[in-house]
Amino acid sequence: MKDEALKVVESVLAQGRTAMVEYEAKQVLRAYGLPVPNEKLAKTLDEALKYAEEIGYPVAMKLMSPQILHKSDAKVVLLNIKTPEELREKWGEIHENARKYRPDAEILGVLIAPMLKPGREVIIGVTEDPQFGHALMFGLGGIFVEVLKDVTFRIIPISERDAEKMIREIKGYPILAGARGEEPADIDAIVELLMKVSELVDELKDYIKEMDLNPVFVYEKGRGAVVVDARIILKVPEEREREIGQSYREKCA
Amino acid sequence: MGEKIVEELRPFFDPKAVALIGATNKRGKVGNVIFENFKRNRENGSFRGKLYPVNPKLDEIEGYRVYHSVEELPDDTDLAVIAIPAKFVPATMRDIAGKGIKAVIIITGGFGELGEEGKRMEREIYEIAKANGIRVIGPNCVGVYAPDTGVDTVFLPDEKMDRPKSGPIAFVSQSGAFAAAMLDWAAGEDIGIGKMVSYGNKIDVDDADLMDYFIHDDGINVVTFYIEGVKDGRKFIEAAKRITRVKPVVALKAGRTEYGAKAASSHTGSLAGQDVIYDAVFKQTGIIRADDFEHMFDLAKAFARLKGKLPKGDRIGIITDGGGAGVMASDAVARFGLKMAELSEESRRFLKEHFPPHAVVGNPTDVVGDTDAERYRLAIEAFVNDPNVDAVVVIVLFQVPLLEDEKIIDILADYQERSGKPIVAVAMGGRKTEHYAKMLEERGVPVYPTPERGVRALAGLVRYAEYLRKA
Repeated sequence: MKDEALKVVESVLAQGRTAMVEYEAKQVLRAYGLPVPNEKLAKTLDEALKYAEEIGYPVAMKLMSPQILHKSDAKVVLLNIKTPEELREKWGEIHENARKYRPDAEILGVLIAPMLKPGREVIIGVTEDPQFGHALMFGLGGIFVEVLKDVTFRIIPISERDAEKMIREIKGYPILAGARGEEPADIDAIVELLMKVSELVDELKDYIKEMDLNPVFVYEKGRGAVVVDARIILKVPEEREREIGQSYREKCA
Repeated sequence: MGEKIVEELRPFFDPKAVALIGATNKRGKVGNVIFENFKRNRENGSFRGKLYPVNPKLDEIEGYRVYHSVEELPDDTDLAVIAIPAKFVPATMRDIAGKGIKAVIIITGGFGELGEEGKRMEREIYEIAKANGIRVIGPNCVGVYAPDTGVDTVFLPDEKMDRPKSGPIAFVSQSGAFAAAMLDWAAGEDIGIGKMVSYGNKIDVDDADLMDYFIHDDGINVVTFYIEGVKDGRKFIEAAKRITRVKPVVALKAGRTEYGAKAASSHTGSLAGQDVIYDAVFKQTGIIRADDFEHMFDLAKAFARLKGKLPKGDRIGIITDGGGAGVMASDAVARFGLKMAELSEESRRFLKEHFPPHAVVGNPTDVVGDTDAERYRLAIEAFVNDPNVDAVVVIVLFQVPLLEDEKIIDILADYQERSGKPIVAVAMGGRKTEHYAKMLEERGVPVYPTPERGVRALAGLVRYAEYLRKA
């Protein structure tokens, strides 16, 4: 698990970057068994058409560029593409939008992804505290995190019991438990997600500075969850920094 | 590792012979106040070690021989207390190392907190200590107060600051001023403090070391911390996890300001203020967080008396002789995340059978204003035997006319001792009530002046018990 994830990390660092694009971040997550959609990075239109066929329409397109980390601001996320014709048309549009937003944007490709069934949105995050090390954050997504800051933290590594308490102690918990006659969400899947993120960060703590899995869709009990979007900010391990004798600079954003 | 830390820190709390470097006969000086503390405690028998004042310019202080240098000190010296200007401290540390003394309290301020030169001296002191296996409390601190063994390096004179009696509470504070104020306050509140440590700039002995020490200290039931900042977070977490399995820890964390928002390149980073991180650490390690110092000592008092009978759940029963106070307590139960117990049918039947019709049976049960002690006893009897009740709050308005004060105190103390369920009392009132409250506390029942504070303290017990059950 660690080796596979490290390969991705190393290649990003080797390019002189510390901000992973979504595609790279998800490869790291996948290496640790986190549920990510079956997505593919298309470098050409032909590849895009091929992948879309494999995945099955409708699909989503997300342009990957180290210089564009706020994809929706740059309008480089296009959803619900229903036909090959539409995909051809949008291929041009998505590239144009990227160029308009950042003329110097380096484009790694376009992620072709299945359209996901919406679920209850949660956010899982990681930050590094100077005294206590990496901390794991959990909360409901959207307005709950933006406006109400209804989130909770634990220091990594966490225990399963910590994970369960985190989920239950946010104010919005009834939304997950099933308020107003809704089916309860798959709490076990969230526990598993939190445990896996904790394990991942604990093993890669010398490399990871911050992380956002936002949003994560959580489905009804027994139906699992999926990481819809992800960001990872890397740091250069100290020994490496000395070895190279120069500090990497964040080129992006 | 536990045994090693006990051996290393023992001289701070129970020294055989204390060298007071910078002892003086000038009234009000730090070196004089500390000298007077030890002298007074030798006279009253609490300090049974020897006292060796050190000062190159004096031969004798109040009948004590004064040593002119560290080198001259007798070989049985096992604790050095330093109260001389900062610039002389590094050289003195080297003398102490040469003498083989392994425990040092540096009261002197003017080090790291005042800039580069001070930081350099601190590093030098630290290196001497490390190289010679010396443990250091301070610098820039008030040191140690341990009434059972008569150790008192608090440089605030006895006539200006009362010293609390001994008790099962340990109190650790980074800030010296806060520590001194708290000791004075605890004395006034009649709260017993078994050991107080104020470590100031903590170049060596820190919170984690003290937690490891207090695990093994049988005289201490609960450890309270006033924390400004933790230097080694991982060490703190590990030590906290070790001690909370054995005894409760209560922490008051100052500085609820946010720094996380600055320079955060991720969403999570912008939400991770220092305060939420401390919250996380406390939850994960089973430390009970206090909102303010009143809360801290409310919790400490409850833990000190009820550590052996933690509640098995969060269902609270309330008995009162005033309706309003019962409502306030019920509100507090909800506010602090506890549940109101549903009395069993059996309890209801029992109470209805014995109570006059105008008394209110339920939760809260209101024994009403014409109650006597026996009516309280029946209610307590029903509540502690009810399988649906985990802890009992008994509100006693001592002002009511027919209540026999001594008898109700006997009853509460008796049930506290006999039943497995914790009982917390609330007594609202003035001087007369305070007098009864003190009597109750002496008999092992923690008493609080308002329903909120009583229930809030009980909530701390419930949280700690939950942590232990799942740890």
